[in-house]
Amino acid sequence: MSGFDLSGLTASFSGKRVIGPLSLKVNPGDKIALVGKSGAGKSTLIRLIHERINRNSSLVPQDLGLVNALSVFHNVFMGQLDKHATWYSTLTLARPFAKDKAEVLSLLESLSMGDKLWTPAASLSGGQRQRVAVARALYRNAAVLLADEPVSALDGPMANSVMTHLRGRFSTSVIALHDVDLALHYCNRIVGIESGQIALDQPTENLAATDIMSLY
Amino acid sequence: MFASPTVRISFIFLAIALVGLLFADIAITASNPWRDLGNFFLGIVTPNFFSSEGLLTALLRTVAFAFVGVALGSFFGFLLALVYQSLPVRIFCAFIRAIHELFWALIFLQFFGFHPLTGVLAIAIPYAGIFAKVYSEILEEADPEPGRALPPGTGNIVAFLYTRIPDCWVKMRTYTAYRLECGLRSSAILGFVGLPTLGFYLEASFSQGLYSDAGAMLILFYVLIATMPLWVRPKLLPIYLLGAPFFLGEGLPIVWGNVLRFFTEDIVPAPLRNGEGLAGLTPWLNDLMINEAMPGIWNTVVLTQIALVATGILSLLAFPLISNHFGGPMRRSAGHVALVIVRSTPEYILAYILLQLWGPSMLPAVVALALHNGGIIGHLIGRQTNSLKLRPDAPTGFNRYTWELVPRVYRSFLAFLFYRWEIIMRETAILGILGIYTLGFYVDSAIQNIRFDRAMVLILVTALLNIGVDALGRYIRRKLALQTLPNC
Amino acid sequence: MALNIIRKLMLSSFLCFTAAAASAETFVFTAIPDEDETKLVERFRGVADYLSEQLDVDVRYIPVKSYAAAVSAFRNNQVQLAWFGGLSGVQARRLVPGSEAIAQGVEDEAFETYFIANSNTGIAPADELSDLKDELQGKTFTFGSKGSTSGRLMPEFYVRDTFGSKPEDFFSRVGFSGNHTRTLRLVEAGTYEVGALNFQVWEKELSDGNIDTDAVQVIWKTPAYPDYQWTIRGDVNDRFGEGFKQRVTEALLNLDNPELLESFPRSGFIPASNDDYEPIRKTAEEIGILD
Repeated sequence: MSGFDLSGLTASFSGKRVIGPLSLKVNPGDKIALVGKSGAGKSTLIRLIHERINRNSSLVPQDLGLVNALSVFHNVFMGQLDKHATWYSTLTLARPFAKDKAEVLSLLESLSMGDKLWTPAASLSGGQRQRVAVARALYRNAAVLLADEPVSALDGPMANSVMTHLRGRFSTSVIALHDVDLALHYCNRIVGIESGQIALDQPTENLAATDIMSLY
Repeated sequence: MFASPTVRISFIFLAIALVGLLFADIAITASNPWRDLGNFFLGIVTPNFFSSEGLLTALLRTVAFAFVGVALGSFFGFLLALVYQSLPVRIFCAFIRAIHELFWALIFLQFFGFHPLTGVLAIAIPYAGIFAKVYSEILEEADPEPGRALPPGTGNIVAFLYTRIPDCWVKMRTYTAYRLECGLRSSAILGFVGLPTLGFYLEASFSQGLYSDAGAMLILFYVLIATMPLWVRPKLLPIYLLGAPFFLGEGLPIVWGNVLRFFTEDIVPAPLRNGEGLAGLTPWLNDLMINEAMPGIWNTVVLTQIALVATGILSLLAFPLISNHFGGPMRRSAGHVALVIVRSTPEYILAYILLQLWGPSMLPAVVALALHNGGIIGHLIGRQTNSLKLRPDAPTGFNRYTWELVPRVYRSFLAFLFYRWEIIMRETAILGILGIYTLGFYVDSAIQNIRFDRAMVLILVTALLNIGVDALGRYIRRKLALQTLPNC
Repeated sequence: MALNIIRKLMLSSFLCFTAAAASAETFVFTAIPDEDETKLVERFRGVADYLSEQLDVDVRYIPVKSYAAAVSAFRNNQVQLAWFGGLSGVQARRLVPGSEAIAQGVEDEAFETYFIANSNTGIAPADELSDLKDELQGKTFTFGSKGSTSGRLMPEFYVRDTFGSKPEDFFSRVGFSGNHTRTLRLVEAGTYEVGALNFQVWEKELSDGNIDTDAVQVIWKTPAYPDYQWTIRGDVNDRFGEGFKQRVTEALLNLDNPELLESFPRSGFIPASNDDYEPIRKTAEEIGILD
């Protein structure tokens, strides 16, 4: 199962409704870009979807959720903590296994971060931290990707490279993006959010940048 | 100015302390206190390091007791921190930390006698209660985000190890290291009740007026604490921890029957033990409450309030000593040394020294408590001012102190002060052992008369008083929204 | 890393429990800390050597910090013999059935407490305590240890008996110096105006020339009462062999090393019995120190 149908999505913040109620049907193979003004409710929607489909998603949250005191390796390894026995994970904390090291290293190399394997997350730059969170989601390798501005801190070529990886690894994804060009280039369906409601839902081939700009 | 709640509370406490002064026994009764003080300082500058063959051993034992006690305390404190949400656990921890190390030692002495376990447990038990509280506070403050980003289905233990511990590790390590320093102080004063640590020899030299010997011990103790960053290294810790148990000394063998006797006979109130039943208990308890507990509580509270305000005044006077907003590096280094000395000296030892020199009254206790605690708070807020950036044309000198710095640090100053309120009370109670009529005096008297039932009731009263002040301190801090990190 | 530390902590705590397990059969004794520690250690190390030689077992003296600690150690069977004062001996023997007073100093049959005063008070010596009522009232006063016979029990008894009030009501300030030497020093220095101490300590310090007689003098001497004694546990024979108690008693009674006796100071040791200390027990009960 990699598609899902969610209805009755709603969220309130201190008594004020910030999203919904809305329904969203995601089909297998859908690569959805959530677009809209900041504050429109994209992050909230990502969070809501994650709460609903939890088990089957790789998540890149906006605040990344890195453990600053741990190395890049351990932060990435955390993507598969549910797949290992407690003793295995605990031992890994002290002394990682060669197999995992190799796997995580190759993943990081593909994101041009191979040299940072043992650097503590605390001493990374903003862009590097973002790539660690992306690596963790890739390492988790779930059926669906939920990502909230996964490349906002990356420069053009690097952003493209990361998006290419994400598109290649996940057949189904929901990604909040404020960069319209990236949305059009890497996604096959655009969902526009305005004041907590879906204001636009079209396949990418039907849209041009100007159509989306009306949301901003 | 009086509209500000922080200022108002300050003046309320000041007023309480002033009223307390009317009732307090403040006097210098020694006929020649300054000559004695002079002799003491002469002793400090002419230390005699070769006085006693036992000096080096005592120093080693002081370190050993501190290491084993703090290690056990932090281990069990950590376990308790994991279940700290549970109310019974909280109450249990509040209770064991409300009883001072010396009281614990006095209790264990009665059935373990002079066995290393007495000293180890006397440190480990109250420290476990303190560690539990602080560790749980640190764990609560951990960033919750990484936990949310974990794959669902991740086991609790693994989630805890990956997301909480790494985030809290540094803070926990810093706090534990700080506690180790406190542990050295606790370990040293255990000698005053007969354990083979530094206090044992310090008391012996002092009471005989051998100030050069006492000076040498104090100097060694300061050096020990000041050089901690050099010899307490993560790499060396395992060696210390493994080695420490072997340096506790032999003591005397434990007779386990004594433990049973203590709990089933000694601490059972005399009327019950003698079969007088509940009818006999009431007059017994009344007598204890009216003649010992009440005067003890009164003196403890009066002394605590005076010492608290004195501590506050002294910290405000002391912090410029190390603040880089005043003076040059030379003067600041001198200030650092002065503050290190006053805060490294346990209150108990300071009070003991001053009592010897000035004669018995509350004054030595007030000065000792204010010096030690004022040194600590002064150091903390002095360091805080060093991170303040003032505008380039800010006033200098006294105006800088009153207009720029004090208003900025006043809230955290109050937070620290109220945080230490309970600690000051704990110490005040224990200073009774030295002859000031606080609760400790009556506890000590009961023990000297081999009446452990009375001693236990009085220790319980002391613990409840501490818990009460702790709660009140927390209430005031919350009311005034004073936030601070625990620091002792 | 966290785990590492935990593992090490557990290991070391385990070691700490086993470290003190082994200890050979040593005869251990203690003494109430009634004087300066260096003096006590010197004196009782001498006694330990002497007993070890006489009894042919390892004998060890352990110094303690309080009278109660001496009693507790005796009660807990961590020491088997102790040099107690009158009161601490009574307390200890009540707590350890079968224990016995076996020897006392020649001087302990008729022991005395001296009341001493700083010269600045201008108090002149008197034969009756009641004659000093006006001079003493409102002065500062120090006892020795809380558990001392000559430094606390007897002087408190005579103060109550003579003046009809508790010491803390009669004097303006009452302290406990800790031991006799310190009482002497505190009154000599004027920290307290008046004090009460063991007459033997006074006489010895006086003959050693350690007292500034211009600063402090004796103002009253109590009637005689029984004091210090050696008390032994009833179960030593089971542990150290038949007749051990008798051998210890004889060794103490035969102690004739003048230097050692001088350090107590006693002219010799004579037999004692539990009954000799009945007056002390009654006095202690009267002023409420004993239940």
